[in-house]
Amino acid sequence: MSNAPRRYLRFRRPDRAEHIVLLSSFTILAITGLVQKFAEAGLSQAVIAALGGIETTRTIHHFAAVVLMLEAIFHLGTVSYKVFVRRTRLDMLPGLTDARRAWSAFLYNLGLRRHPPQEGRYGFAEKAEYFAVVWGTLLMAVTGFMMWNPISTTRWLPGQIIPAAKAAHGFEAILAVLAILIWHMYHVHVRRFNRSMFTGHLKEDEMIEEHPLELADIKAGLAERPADPKAVARRRRVFIPVYAVVAVLLLAGVYAFVTFEQTAITTLPEPVDVPVFAPLTATPLPTPAPTATRAPTASPVADATESPTTVTITWMLDVAPIIVPQCGTCHTAGGGMAGLDLTSYAGAIQGGTSGSAVVPGDPTASLLVQRQQAGNHPGQLTSEELARVIAWIEAGAPE
Amino acid sequence: MTRRRGTLGLFFLAAAALAGLAAIGFTPASAAVASAPAARPPANPANPANDKCLVCHASPGQTVTLPSGELLAISVDAGAFDQSVHGREGLVCLDCHPGNGEFPHPAVTAQTRREYVLQRYTACAECHADKYEATLDSVHQRALAGGNLKAAVCTDCHGAHDVTSIADGPRSAIPQTCERCHSAIFNAYRESVHGAALMEESNPDVPTCIDCHGVHDVQGPSTEAFHLFSPTICARCHADPELMARYGLSTAILETYVSDFHGTTVLLFEKLAPDQETNKPVCIDCHSVHDIQRVDDPNSTVIQENLLVTCRRCHPDATANFPAAWLGHYPPDPQHAPLVFYVNVFYWVFIPVVIGGMLVFVVADVIRRILNRRRGASPERSRRARPERPRSVPVGKSKDPP
Repeated sequence: MSNAPRRYLRFRRPDRAEHIVLLSSFTILAITGLVQKFAEAGLSQAVIAALGGIETTRTIHHFAAVVLMLEAIFHLGTVSYKVFVRRTRLDMLPGLTDARRAWSAFLYNLGLRRHPPQEGRYGFAEKAEYFAVVWGTLLMAVTGFMMWNPISTTRWLPGQIIPAAKAAHGFEAILAVLAILIWHMYHVHVRRFNRSMFTGHLKEDEMIEEHPLELADIKAGLAERPADPKAVARRRRVFIPVYAVVAVLLLAGVYAFVTFEQTAITTLPEPVDVPVFAPLTATPLPTPAPTATRAPTASPVADATESPTTVTITWMLDVAPIIVPQCGTCHTAGGGMAGLDLTSYAGAIQGGTSGSAVVPGDPTASLLVQRQQAGNHPGQLTSEELARVIAWIEAGAPE
Repeated sequence: MTRRRGTLGLFFLAAAALAGLAAIGFTPASAAVASAPAARPPANPANPANDKCLVCHASPGQTVTLPSGELLAISVDAGAFDQSVHGREGLVCLDCHPGNGEFPHPAVTAQTRREYVLQRYTACAECHADKYEATLDSVHQRALAGGNLKAAVCTDCHGAHDVTSIADGPRSAIPQTCERCHSAIFNAYRESVHGAALMEESNPDVPTCIDCHGVHDVQGPSTEAFHLFSPTICARCHADPELMARYGLSTAILETYVSDFHGTTVLLFEKLAPDQETNKPVCIDCHSVHDIQRVDDPNSTVIQENLLVTCRRCHPDATANFPAAWLGHYPPDPQHAPLVFYVNVFYWVFIPVVIGGMLVFVVADVIRRILNRRRGASPERSRRARPERPRSVPVGKSKDPP
């Protein structure tokens, strides 16, 4: 062992920044997505309410999705740079060797092997996770595009692709979250708290435990391939414009992703126009029997009082308009009160069970006059109207 | 150590929270359908019997002319009253017209016939306070309060002297009562799968107006809360296995709706913001409301031939394949939605295998580390001894090449 505790650079600053962006967008996507998948659960509804409702939750989800896509484009750049310019080994790619190592690690854990497998720069656990992130992000982007743009998607593909994409998107999310909770949490936080993704470094004993072969390579000077600075500079001159074009195309793709279509109207749909209030024609209420009136030029009241000889007061023209509406509601035809019918001339002359309502020529003997003069009868005539009726009786009560 | 345990704790907390996502559905709110009349005070024995009033009011065709020129009928059909629910209970005129015990009666102050009705109908509240209070929340009372004097009050639906019990009449009397004011809607309803079954076959299962809108607290579809709640109304019958079995209908309608985009949104709006507007459709937005038809009726808005037109009300750019994105209330199965079904099957297998494999691996690793520590051969120490070996062995010859 060397004298001071040595630190080994594991992740450069851009890698660490990428991880922060990835973990933030992943967490936001997972939370805002799972609460939609399990929308009926009380916990989900509490989260959605806290986020400001379902529309806001979806907007946040979409925003985080865009951030993740941008991160993916950036990552493509950094990886291609390492591979094409610096000619770094593709040591993140999982292979058969990793499956064998995982198997022998498992056998070691069961006590069937004496030693655990020794790992290089990236262990099988890390490679599996890297593979899952790349694969999952691609799948989520494709299925997410379909859900974001269902009308454009179904222009080319059968309609069922949309619910299928939704199912895959949701299940893949569950898989990703569980994998993070079980695999990532265990290997990076529980088994040994590995801070290198934030600090950038691993200590020697951590290197010995987790990456002994890489440590050996570093100590043997084999970790990095010797690079010819001139060749690197030449490759970089080619790489930068090529990646710039690719990145612009991909960014245009993200822009298209977000703005591809207007799926639905943003207003309410046109309401179906049905008149709410459309009353049936009501059954007509009774209307008063038509009563004849004098010609408007005549002035019957004046005529009757001032020159009774010239104008005859009659039931039809003078008395009925007073008596019928006032008395006829109770003293109706065919069984009015007290057997009296005051809706017709005949009924008035005939009288009722108590006697003669009208005695032509004798107002005092007429019960109608007696009752009215006594007052407090339900239908009370005005004194003017009564005077007119008396005048009519005095005149012999003509029809 | 403590940090390690703390992280483990966090991990289990997160896992428990995830496992704790329990499904809950719409909470069905009960519809206040007409119930037995509330206990009413007995008729006041001091009130004179009806024949005193009928001396005058029995004569047919009597009217009072109101200042508006309208005629107010003041005749009472004594036979109809005796047949009415109140007549059978022995109520007398003055129970509802308490001010008219003296003669002459107090002058009618109403200017119009409608004004007279509006002055008088609160008499019902004397005995039916619960019903009256329910009406205060109704769309009719809101309209009335807003100055629409035509809005229905008690007597407009129940009648006055000829009040009948809802139990007396055929069920078809219910929509016919509403028809008096809402005839256009009634005409649509009569042609619908529900209305035709009621009016033509007296089917007791189909809903009348009040089964969806409520009775005294009748609600209109104009409020967003009603709109958002309405799927629950449909589900009252359409998620009832016994009822649906009679007609061979699926009961999966609500769960399939809620699990899809539209239904999820509506559910969340209903739970979290019941008064907020959303343009996501509820049942009636696709199936239509009063003129709703069987899904295989040629006039149905959701029959295959008409579905695209219906979708385009909200998705104007939709093309022929688009409607199939909605699985039509069928839970995905190999016949109706093979693609969705097999995606589901894949993940039902894939997730347990992957996650189960991870768990097995992690648990084995945990046990191994505990055993190593207990034996005193801490892995740190045993491994610390080992790196000497690869350093001395050429990389290419190691058992596990990089």
